[in-house]
Amino acid sequence: MTSRWGALRDLLYGMTGYEFARHAMQIRHELESVFMVVTMGDLIGVPVLPPYYSLRLLPYVVPQIETWKRHMVRRKELWEKPEYDLLEM
Amino acid sequence: MSLRRVFESQPHRRYIMFGGKGGLGKTTLSATAAFWLAGQGKRVLIFSVDPQASLSDIFQRDIFGKGPVPIVQNLWAEEVDADRRIREYQDEIRKKIRDMYGLDRVPEEIDNYIQAASAEPAMEESAIFDAVVDIIVKGDYDYYIYDLVPLGHALYYLSMAKVYDEWITKITKLREDMRQYDQMAATMRREKVLEEDQILNELIYIRDRINASSRILTDRAQTAFFFVVVPEEMIILDTKRAAELFARFDVPIAGYVVNRVLPRELIQASIPEYLRNRITMQDRYLKEITATFGSQILAYVPEMERDVTGLPMIERLAERLFGEASGPEGPEPAGGRGAP
Repeated sequence: MTSRWGALRDLLYGMTGYEFARHAMQIRHELESVFMVVTMGDLIGVPVLPPYYSLRLLPYVVPQIETWKRHMVRRKELWEKPEYDLLEM
Repeated sequence: MSLRRVFESQPHRRYIMFGGKGGLGKTTLSATAAFWLAGQGKRVLIFSVDPQASLSDIFQRDIFGKGPVPIVQNLWAEEVDADRRIREYQDEIRKKIRDMYGLDRVPEEIDNYIQAASAEPAMEESAIFDAVVDIIVKGDYDYYIYDLVPLGHALYYLSMAKVYDEWITKITKLREDMRQYDQMAATMRREKVLEEDQILNELIYIRDRINASSRILTDRAQTAFFFVVVPEEMIILDTKRAAELFARFDVPIAGYVVNRVLPRELIQASIPEYLRNRITMQDRYLKEITATFGSQILAYVPEMERDVTGLPMIERLAERLFGEASGPEGPEPAGGRGAP
């Protein structure tokens, strides 16, 4: 019985909340990148104003640094996305 | 109003700064004010963050990097060693990383970053800034006398408070926004309460410190900034410009102290032409200072017969500056004030 309810709940979540949650996480991810640039920008050559304070945050972001750097390299600007490619239109 | 009256009538102004171009006697006046206040029974800390600080010289004791060192009863002096502070801070960060992730050593890339960040000039500036925050937010002295580096730098430090203030407020807001999206996703997924965001906690800690110091430095009720000026043309022009800039950064200017005034009684004695010319020149600029700064002038400090170092000289100057007879009355012009 519980599993049926569980399945139904998952189904409803999939129909309604899933998209919202995914979207929220996407925005969260984008904000994370911005946050990393303004605090750890020095790591990719963007000077950060008070390095003394940004160093204080460093221990907490150690695990994210690799992913963030990769994300920054692969990051595409709006006009670089396929749907805005003029040649393909 | 005299300098003494300013201190006596505004006891809440506990953060005191003397600013001016290099070599005008900022450290001398800071030390003298600190000495006098300590003599009045107030607990006073005089401190400097300048790597070439002169507090050790004026008190004739090596106090560099030794924390607050007692000088006389109620008076402590401190010279911050920024380099050592940065080194200790780096080690603290490294240790935190090792502890948090159970590592034997900090990953090379991260360590390189810590080293590179620490080599930047901006690191020293922000470390010094934090050292000042550290000193003033503790608030365990009655008076804090900040022996500033020359004007340009002084303004730089003060404006830094404003810039850091904005930076930290913005990124704290950004972090809070991120938290909201986390919260939103968690609610959709019917997940339990999120664990605490340690970064947000750190940001709030940093923000509160920066905000507090920024508030203190620009608060007219708690802070008094005195300009030191000498009767010379370039110094007057520079001080006028600096005063305008300072006003723009909301620095609470409390008045002007005119230093290095040659004793007027010399003119009666037979003195060489050279000295007579200097006195006449000073007279001209003293008139200009009076016309420009008027009632904001709090004291005229005489040029002493020798440099002010060591406690006996500081005491003598304190007597001249804060004694009962002290006041903002300008020195008698060389030709006599009432001379027809």
